[in-house]
Amino acid sequence: MTQTTQATGHLDPNQLNAFIDGELSPAESNGIQQHLADCHPCALRVLSATQLKAATARATQRFAAPPEALARLAAQLRPQESKRTARIYSFRSIAWTGLAAALVLALSLIGWRQAHQANTLSAELLDQHLATLSSGASPEVLSTDRHTVKPWFQGKLPFSFNLPDPLPADTTLKGGNLAYLNGQPAALLLFTIHKHEVSVFLTQRSASPMATPLPGTRSGFSIHSATTHDLRIVAVSDVNPADLDLLVSAMAQAQSPR
Amino acid sequence: MSRAPGHLAGPFHFQYTEASRTMSSTATSASFEQLALPLLPSLYSHAFWLCRNHAEAEDLVQETISKALRAFDSFQTGTNFKAWVFRILRNTFLTSRTGIAASRTVFLEDHPDLLDTTDASPTPEDYLISLDNQATVNQALDQLHPPLREVLLLCDVEELKYKDIALVLDVPIGTVMSRISRARRTLHQLLQPQLGESL
Repeated sequence: MTQTTQATGHLDPNQLNAFIDGELSPAESNGIQQHLADCHPCALRVLSATQLKAATARATQRFAAPPEALARLAAQLRPQESKRTARIYSFRSIAWTGLAAALVLALSLIGWRQAHQANTLSAELLDQHLATLSSGASPEVLSTDRHTVKPWFQGKLPFSFNLPDPLPADTTLKGGNLAYLNGQPAALLLFTIHKHEVSVFLTQRSASPMATPLPGTRSGFSIHSATTHDLRIVAVSDVNPADLDLLVSAMAQAQSPR
Repeated sequence: MSRAPGHLAGPFHFQYTEASRTMSSTATSASFEQLALPLLPSLYSHAFWLCRNHAEAEDLVQETISKALRAFDSFQTGTNFKAWVFRILRNTFLTSRTGIAASRTVFLEDHPDLLDTTDASPTPEDYLISLDNQATVNQALDQLHPPLREVLLLCDVEELKYKDIALVLDVPIGTVMSRISRARRTLHQLLQPQLGESL
C-alpha cells in the first residue's frame, strides 16, 4: 500500500486512507506530502477524504448517550463493590461466630468455676487455651521455626527458655503468644500433637503462684505441668495424656543445660 | 521437627490469602473502573449504531461491562484497552438477538482486487463533495452497509489504529484497510448525487 500506483503516479486509495488516518511512518508520510505538493488531483482527493473523515466523526454526535443511561452504566462499573463487601462480611461473620463461641465458652466456664470454686489458675489456663482455640486469631509470632519463635520473646519476658529439638513425634510448633497468668508474664507456645491443639505456658518458677499441684484434668482437658530450675511448664490440651507428657518432659529437658 | 502445616496453620493461611486476594481485586477493579469510565459515551454511541435502539444500546453496554470486568484478568496491560473492550462489545452484539439478525445480512467478501478503483483520469470535481450539510452525511452513513459503517466508525469516530480495529473485528489488518477504502468510496458515491443537485 505504501508504493505509489505505478500506472498513474497517483496515490492509491489504501495509501490515501493510511495517510489521512495517520497509519504511515514519518518517512512514508513525507514521501506522500512531497507528492501532494506536486500533484493537484491527489491533493484534492486528500482534502476531500479528510473532510469526509471529519464529517463522519461528527455524525456520531447524534447518538450521544442520554445522561441518565450514562449514570446507570457508571454505577454498574462498581457492582463488585457490594459483592466484595459481602465477601468480607461473610468472612468477618466467621470471626464473629468464633468470638461469640469464645464468649459462650468463657461465660460457661465462669459459671462452672463459680459453682465449683476450683483452682482458679487451672481455669485460667484452660480459658486461655480455649480462647486460643476458638478465637481463630493468629498467634503474635506465627512460625514453626524455633529459631524464630524463641527470639521473638526476647525483651518481652523477664526470662528465657529453650525449645526442644527435635520435638516428639507428630508434634508441631505453631507459634507463640505473650500471655499473663495471675499477673505474671508467660510465654504461651502453641503446638499440635496429632492435630490436637496444645497450649504450653512457661512462667518463672520463683514468681509462679502455683504452690498447689494442678489437677490432672479439667473439663476433659489434660493439664500437665513440670518444673525446671527456673521455669514452670504447664501444658493444656485434649490430646491423650501420654503424648502430652512427652511434650512436657521434652520441654523440661530442653531447659537443662547440656 | 515436623514442619507440615497442621489444621491450626490452615485457617491463618486462608486468612492471609483471602486478604491479599481481596486487596489485589480491589486494585484490579479500581483500574478497570478508571479505564472503562471514560469510554462509556463511546461504547454507548457505538452500541447505538449497532442496535439502533436506546434500550438495547444500554443493555449491550451493560453486558459488555460485566463481561469485560469478569475477563479483566485476561486483559494484557500495555495493550489497547479501548480496542479490547470494543471487541467485547462487538462480540456481545453479534450474539444478541439483533446481532444475529444483522449477521444474516450477507456481507460482500473482501476482494482487494475489486477495491482497487483508482480512476485513471480523475477530475478535481469528482473528489469534491458537498459536506456543508451534516444531515446529508448522516443519511449517507445510514445507507452504508453495516460492516462498512462499523469499520469507519471505529476509525474516524473512535480513532482506533488499524491494528486495533483488526483486533476488534477479528480480521487481518489488510481486510481493515480494504474495508476502510470500500467504506469511504461508497460514502463518496452516496454523497455524489448531493453534489450533482447542489451544482
